[in-house]
Amino acid sequence: MAKELIMTGCRAAAEGAKAAEVEVICSFPIRPYTAIMMELAKMVADGELNAEFIHGEGEHAQLSVVLGAAASGARAYTGSSGVGVTYAMEIYSPMAGGRYPAQMAIADRTLDPPGDFGSEHTDAMCTRDQGWLLGWADSPQEVYDNTLINYRVGEDHRVMLPQMVCQEGYFVSHIPDKVILGDQSQVKKFLPPYRPIGPLSTTKPVSHGPQIRPDQGAPMDAMRAAVFLDVPKVIEEATADFNRIFGRNYDPFVDQYKLADAEIAFFVMGAHANTCRKAVDRLRKQGVKAGMARLRWVRPWPTHQLANALGHVKAIGVVETSTSYGGAMRGGNLIHELRASLYDLDQRPLVTSFMAGLGGETIWPADFDYMAKVLTEMVKEKKTKRYVYWIGM
Amino acid sequence: MQAFNYKFQQLEPLKSFKRVPVPEMYVPGHRTCAGCGPALNYRLVAKAAGKETIFIGPTGCMYVANSSYLCTPYAVSWIHAQITNGGAVASGIEAAFKVAARKGRNTGVFPNIIVMAGDGGSVDIGLQAMSGMMYRNHKVLFICYDNESYANTGIQTSPTTPYGAKTTFTPPGKEIPEGKVLFPKDPPQLVIGGHPAVKYVATTTIAHPLDLMNKVRKALSQPGPTFLHMLATCPKGWLFPEHLTKEMARLAVETGMWTLYEWENGTYKYTNVPKKYKPVNEYMKHQGRFAHLKPEHIAKMQAFVDEKIKNVKQAIAVAAPVPTARQKA
Ligand SMILES: Cc1ncc(C[n+]2csc(CCOP(=O)(O)OP(=O)(O)O)c2C)c(N)n1
Ligand code: SF4
Ligand SMILES: [Mg+2]
Repeated sequence: MAKELIMTGCRAAAEGAKAAEVEVICSFPIRPYTAIMMELAKMVADGELNAEFIHGEGEHAQLSVVLGAAASGARAYTGSSGVGVTYAMEIYSPMAGGRYPAQMAIADRTLDPPGDFGSEHTDAMCTRDQGWLLGWADSPQEVYDNTLINYRVGEDHRVMLPQMVCQEGYFVSHIPDKVILGDQSQVKKFLPPYRPIGPLSTTKPVSHGPQIRPDQGAPMDAMRAAVFLDVPKVIEEATADFNRIFGRNYDPFVDQYKLADAEIAFFVMGAHANTCRKAVDRLRKQGVKAGMARLRWVRPWPTHQLANALGHVKAIGVVETSTSYGGAMRGGNLIHELRASLYDLDQRPLVTSFMAGLGGETIWPADFDYMAKVLTEMVKEKKTKRYVYWIGM
Repeated sequence: MQAFNYKFQQLEPLKSFKRVPVPEMYVPGHRTCAGCGPALNYRLVAKAAGKETIFIGPTGCMYVANSSYLCTPYAVSWIHAQITNGGAVASGIEAAFKVAARKGRNTGVFPNIIVMAGDGGSVDIGLQAMSGMMYRNHKVLFICYDNESYANTGIQTSPTTPYGAKTTFTPPGKEIPEGKVLFPKDPPQLVIGGHPAVKYVATTTIAHPLDLMNKVRKALSQPGPTFLHMLATCPKGWLFPEHLTKEMARLAVETGMWTLYEWENGTYKYTNVPKKYKPVNEYMKHQGRFAHLKPEHIAKMQAFVDEKIKNVKQAIAVAAPVPTARQKA
């Protein structure tokens, strides 16, 4: 029987991993994701989960352990936060290039300096070009759901890619909310067992990862890129199945809120969407035609879906909770790709960005009011005056 | 969970060369230098381990020169690891096979899981992953094939490069006439000193093939992590003629530059101890990497070796050579 409980995002991630019957888990402590591993350690200790729980000697080892496990046919699970995510940097590409579909849970956190426990998307965003699936949830419920959806998509033989399932530190990872846990029969119906391709074996010898000639490099890269052309279809199928089996209502790529007739829109990722929806409601009451688009997947980036969802809007404010120092727009990361997604439209929306929620700061309702004011002025003046506004300073 | 009875392999010692398995698990077709010690080493290890084996190959000569152009010489399963993470990748593989056995997905014997790492991939940049694996008690054999340099990147100094060796990062010059001024790390002692789960450690060389193969088989018959340190001579890096590959390893033992021993549950057993050690220069004089050294540098090396072999003579009884006793797991 499905059951409804109150739990944090960390617990929800662990419940998702347990439901997926992960077999090899590798931990290393760093706040705030640590609580996911605490939950899993207890499940293994209590005999609720038949898995090897390995205490990695660092995040680099965590990734390496799950790589080896996935290469040997086990469903593998790990996770991290902040500098832990970047410490493992060497292993992201071998993992994706080797097509090992293990999963990494992220409760995001600022990078140093200085030491700061706050949520920020920068840590996992650093890995966005390494070939992984990557996306953010906006609630503990979506964390649980995304854990299952990601294994299903990542292990699909048309995909075979590792997945980074992100939630914001504290806002999602540590604030309890209502979560419906699926029944194991629903999980079984949705998520087939992991079927590795050419795993390490003593009966069928294989070689994983030999060197190549330079002229073999380009075709290989092209293959890795081409996989991402197929991923959206697999995500659509998996989301539709998930909605049907679990009774949810996810848009596969872009969570759209009051966008249909919107003139201005906020483009957000993660739990800040919850404040944003309220802000949209209030602005609507004041006669401002506001809407919101929440990105569910950064990789694959839903280029056409975003153009469809946002093409008619007059001005878009990208709420950036990550940094891209010296980048084209001098602020965050998302604006570059959003602008690129809209470039081929005949009538392009104006797009600016708001650096907000950095260092784990709350984005307040008043901040959205201010952003709405900037966007409304842009619409009036038909011009993007600035590419970036720093909020709350 | 602990109570599960995994089907770990027990490999009998090879009593003589006649008993050595014929099938090759490391086959021709690779691109190592002529006279490459590590390649010969690989062949012997793979032969001794047999078919039910999985190799983990961190980046180094034994990755790059073995797996060129999408071809590999491994007749058993093999996976590339980064130079940094051989021990950790092996841990994940071992864990996966354990779960598969517990869940009844894999009912055959438990594979021999062997990391074949260079000195850099073992005791320098790979040290953390190796140590983590050993501490956690994974059933993995970690082999350091020691060619005494970062060879694949063009012979740079590593923590096992001997004092006085010329490498591309320790060129001798007016200010630093010896080239390398530091003395090397001691890999087996690093393992023995701090890893209670490890019960078997041994050293060997490519000039002692039966000894090498039996140490591999003995290590693989242990229920937990094990470590072998193998001298794998490198004509390109050490600058000696390639037909002397075996001879160099033999001379290393005869001069005390290298010692052959087993460490089992706290007890040392030395083998092939010469009645009288040859002077170190008998070994050094063949190798271009030492050609620049002055007599006082060679004396310094001799003093280092004298100190080392004092242990061999004083503390530890000289035992019979291979074959070694059969292990009970
Ligand atoms: C993280 C990282 N740093 C540096 C390198 C470059 N590199 C490739 S092979 C190699 C040498 C490896 O030395 P060793 O482990 O002793 O093996 P050998 O080449 O001597 O057989 C190095 C440093 C690398 N591949 N990865
Ligand atoms: S450089 Fe040395 S270790 Fe590398 S392939 Fe040549 S002989 Fe072998
Ligand atoms: Mg080396």
